[in-house]
Amino acid sequence: MLHLSHQNIQAASIDPITGFPNRAACFNKISQLAKQPASEKRLTVIWIGLDRFKRVNESCGHQGGDLLIFQIASRLRDRTGHHTLWFRMAGDEFVHLSWAEDPDQTEKLASALLDEIGVPLALNNLTLHPTASLGIAAFEPGEFPHACLERADHAMQSAKRAGGNRIVTSGKELVPGRLGIRLAQDELQIENKLHLAIDHGKLHLQYQPIVAADGSLLSVEALMRCNSDQISPGEFIPIAEKTGLIIRLGEWSLLEGATFARRLQSAGQKSSVSINISRAQFSMPHFPQTLHAALLCANVAPEQVELELTESLFMDNSSIVQINLRATKDTGVRISIDDFGTGFSCLATLKDIHANKLKIDRAFVVALPHDRRAFSVVSAIARLGQDLGMLVVAEGVESREQADALLEAGVHAIQGYIFARPMPEDALLKWIRNRK
Amino acid sequence: MTPHHSALETQLEISLNKIGIPPRPAILETISAEMKKDEPDINHLSAIISADVALAASLISITNSPYFGFRGRVHTAREALMVLGLNVASKAIAGLVMRRAFPSSPHLERFWDSSARIARLSGWLAQRIRNSTLRADDAYTFGLFRDCGIPILISRFPDYPNILKEANQDALRSFTDIEDQSLPTNHAVIGYVLAQSWWLSEETILAIRRHHDVDTLKSTSIPPSINSRHMIAVSQLAEYLLQKHSGLSQTQEWAKLGPACLQLLNLNNEGLDRVMAEATEVIEIEN
Repeated sequence: MLHLSHQNIQAASIDPITGFPNRAACFNKISQLAKQPASEKRLTVIWIGLDRFKRVNESCGHQGGDLLIFQIASRLRDRTGHHTLWFRMAGDEFVHLSWAEDPDQTEKLASALLDEIGVPLALNNLTLHPTASLGIAAFEPGEFPHACLERADHAMQSAKRAGGNRIVTSGKELVPGRLGIRLAQDELQIENKLHLAIDHGKLHLQYQPIVAADGSLLSVEALMRCNSDQISPGEFIPIAEKTGLIIRLGEWSLLEGATFARRLQSAGQKSSVSINISRAQFSMPHFPQTLHAALLCANVAPEQVELELTESLFMDNSSIVQINLRATKDTGVRISIDDFGTGFSCLATLKDIHANKLKIDRAFVVALPHDRRAFSVVSAIARLGQDLGMLVVAEGVESREQADALLEAGVHAIQGYIFARPMPEDALLKWIRNRK
Repeated sequence: MTPHHSALETQLEISLNKIGIPPRPAILETISAEMKKDEPDINHLSAIISADVALAASLISITNSPYFGFRGRVHTAREALMVLGLNVASKAIAGLVMRRAFPSSPHLERFWDSSARIARLSGWLAQRIRNSTLRADDAYTFGLFRDCGIPILISRFPDYPNILKEANQDALRSFTDIEDQSLPTNHAVIGYVLAQSWWLSEETILAIRRHHDVDTLKSTSIPPSINSRHMIAVSQLAEYLLQKHSGLSQTQEWAKLGPACLQLLNLNNEGLDRVMAEATEVIEIEN
C-alpha cells in the first residue's frame, strides 16, 4: 500500500507553474469555508477563464503558454495580496475565493482583475493582449458548496459565449429568450409576462393631458400600460426594446392612438394625440407605410396625430431615418421632439428640424423653481423653440411652483401630475367634460 | 370618380368613413376571457354565443362544413363548441365577427365569401399536408384575415378597384409592388396593422404582411417562422385549388408564388394532383 506523507500530499495539490493550489484543493477549501458560522460577509467565488488561450499555445508553444499563465497568475496574486485564496482549476482557468461584504465589492474586484489581465504582455517577440471571461457566484445559505463553484463556472462560460472580455454574475447569465435575444433571468421573466400580455390582449394605452398656458387642452400623450401580472412600463419597455418587441408594440400603439384621436375628433375635440415612436420602429424601412396604414384604418385627419421622437433621432444621419423623417412630415402628422436637453443635441441640426413641438425633459423641471441655472436653461430652450416655430412643453410637472416658474420661463404648455396622471380613455373623456 | 367606382362603392366608402377601423368586437373579449380560465365554462360560452342568433347559426354551419371533417351534424352552439374544440371555435367566431364588423354590402359579401372559402380549405389543407406543423385553426384564421386590408383600401381610395385589377393581372411584379406604385401603403400592411389591433398571433400577423412576397417563401431566415411561411403557402394553394375547380382564375398569384409554395410544402406534381383530387371532393360536398 502506498502511504503519502503530508508534504507529498501538499506538493501534489500545488500547481508547479503558478504556485496556486489545484482544482481538488479548491473543492476541499470551499467545503471547509462553507462550514464556518454565518456572518455578514458572504463567501464569493470568482472563476476566471482566459479567452482564446489555445491560440497562445498554438503560436508560442506550450512553454510560451506556461509563461503567460505564470505572468497572469503573478499579476492576480499581486493585485489581491499574497494571503488570498487562489486556485488553478485547469490549463487556463483560475478561481478566487473571498469573503465579500456586498455584491458591488466583488464586482469591483472582478473588474479590477479583468483590467489587470488586459495589460499587454511581451512573449516570444510578440505583444499579447490577453482578455478573460469572469463568472461570479456568491454562496447561498444551505447551498451545497460545490454547486456554488459550478454556478461560477457556468457564469464564466456564459461570459465566454457572450464574446469574452466580460464579467457575468451567476443568476444574471444571459440565455436566449423567445425571440432569440440573450437575456438575464429576471429579464426573461418580464419577457414571458410581456408575451403573455400580448397574446391575451392585455396591453392598453393611457392618456395624459398636456395643458396650454391659457388652461385649454393642447393634446394628450398616449402611454403604454400592461394590465396583467403587474409589470410596469419601466420594466417592460426596456425589455421590449432589447428584444425588438418594441416595434410590434409601437405599431399597435400607433393604430390604437390614432383610433383614439379619431374618437376625440368625432367628439368635437381639437386636441391631438401624441404617440411615442421608438428608434427601432422609426428605423424600419416600412415605417411610412405602417404610419399611412394606421391613419387609413383609424380614418383620422393626420394633424390630429403627433409622433414623439427622441432628439437623438433627429441627429441621426442614416439615410433610412432621414427618409422616414421626410415621409412622416409629408403625411401631415405633427412631430414632437421628446426628452429635449438630455441627449447630444446639436444646435446646428436643430435649425433644420421642422418639428411642431419641443418637450423639455423632466430633469430640468425637478430642479425648479429654486435652481436659477436650471431656470436659465429652460428659458433659453423656450425662447429657442419659439423662435424656431415650435410649441414648448415641459413634462413631469408636479407642483404649482414648478408650473409658475415654467410659464415665467416662456414654456407654452405643461404636462404632469399637477393636472392629471395618465388615465384610461373613459377617465380622460370624463376629465375633459368636468373641466368645461 | 372612375367608371369602376360604382354608387355601391361610394355608399360603402361613406359607411366605412363613418366607422373607421373595425374594432375588436366585445364578444371576442368575453370569449377570450372565458377561455383563459383554467377550466373554461362551456355552458357559459355557449350561452354567450347562443344569445347572438346569427352568430350561433353561422358557427353551426361552419362546424357542419366538410372542411372540418366531421361526419355527423351539430344542431346547437354547445355541440359546435364541443365538436370544434374551444381553440378552433374561438378562431371561427373571430372570423365571423370580423366579417360583421365591416359594413355589409353585396360587393363585400362576395369578397368575404371568397375569403371564407379560402380559409376553410386552408384549414383542411393544413391537416392534409404531412410535413407541416401548421395548425388547422391558424391556417383558417390566416385565410380569413389575409386580405382584410382590401375593404379598407376600397373605402379610402376611389381608384383602388383599378389598382386591384392591375395587380391581379400582372404576371411579373408582386401584387403589393403594384399597390405601392400608386398608394402610400398596401393591403398587406393594412391587414398587418389591423391584425395587430385584434391581437392575432405574431406568426399570423407577420404572414399577413408578407403574403405576396415570394422571397419570404424562399428565405430560411427567421422571422417569419416556418409556420408563417406555411400559412402563406397553404392559403395560396387553397386559392389556386378553388380557382382551378371553378375554372375562374382571376389572379396571377399562383404563377408568381406557386412553385415556391409547392417546394415549401414538399409537394411534387404527383402530390399536387392527389391533393387536388381529394380537395375537389370536399369542395363539391360544400357546394
